Amino acid sequence: MRRFHLTPRRIAFVVAATLGFGTAAGFAATLTVGSWHLWAGSQTLTKATCPTLSGTTSTTDTYVVQATPTTSFGSSTTMLVKSNSGSQDWSFVRFDLSSCGIPTTGGADSATLTLYVTTAPGTSRTLTVTPVLSTWSGTLTWNTAQTLTYGSSATTTIVTGTTTGAKTATVTVDVDSLIKNPSANYGWRISDSGSGNATTTFATAENGTASHQPQLSINYEK
Amino acid sequence: MNTLSKTLGFLVTVAATFAACAAAATLAVASTSLSAGNAAVTSCGVSSLTATRNVNNSGNVTQVNVGGIPTACSGETLSVALVSSANASLGSGTATIGSCTTTCSATITSFGATVAATSLAKYSFSVTGT
Repeated sequence: MRRFHLTPRRIAFVVAATLGFGTAAGFAATLTVGSWHLWAGSQTLTKATCPTLSGTTSTTDTYVVQATPTTSFGSSTTMLVKSNSGSQDWSFVRFDLSSCGIPTTGGADSATLTLYVTTAPGTSRTLTVTPVLSTWSGTLTWNTAQTLTYGSSATTTIVTGTTTGAKTATVTVDVDSLIKNPSANYGWRISDSGSGNATTTFATAENGTASHQPQLSINYEK
Repeated sequence: MNTLSKTLGFLVTVAATFAACAAAATLAVASTSLSAGNAAVTSCGVSSLTATRNVNNSGNVTQVNVGGIPTACSGETLSVALVSSANASLGSGTATIGSCTTTCSATITSFGATVAATSLAKYSFSVTGT
């Protein structure tokens, strides 16, 4: 039998042949990946702030009184929220967002409604802020307010405290919806479903003190 | 004979070693290459995507809606990463692109984390499928 000698040359051949096979096997395995679809991209967002909305140019507000169900108060300088069962008052406020120029593909990052209490109740009240889903104007009355459509749940609440001053409510989710569907901008109803007989008075857009008028602040992306 | 046995044993060992290397190389290539230099990887016709998002009243993203996806992408997987201004991932999610007749859309509602809309600066998209 012929003897086989393991020389450096033979070792080099074996290594080269084995490495070549192994590499080829690796590439063959990756070919199956080539049958996939693949796409990647990105979209950069721009952040902006809408100048605070206030005043009669951008605000519509009023209140309705159950005790006088056919009377409207659209030109009043104050608006009332009253809790007394059977003799309630509701306030309504909405803002025209068109001056902000937010595209319907944008969205609210944050939105804050500010109302100024001009006459506070004797004990602190928790008022309910509910989105209004159908149209209304300054001629709204208690009776016509009963025909409006309201959100199935409140957006947030406002705690009045017992002193005058600005009160804020976060309304981001509603403003985000308004940005995407501007034609459905009907604002909010503020009501007091608590027990007892308490009245909270807010300044309206017609109020002579500009800083007391309802305000809406919006930070958004587009 | 003794030398031949030793040599064959050595060759078997060397072959096994490189077979293992080949497997390792396959894993490395397959996990990183995809489109790199391989003409067989194509898209399903997407040239760009845009998204809108919804938020809850706390300002956190509740869903991302992606529209304008070519019908050829139906059934494929859309992945969206929510990215901060510092280019960090805030969360991500996937959805299967449903069947459609004109253009497709997809909605993602879970991102693995709570993402504040104020922190969101960019969407990163990918569409993958066979």
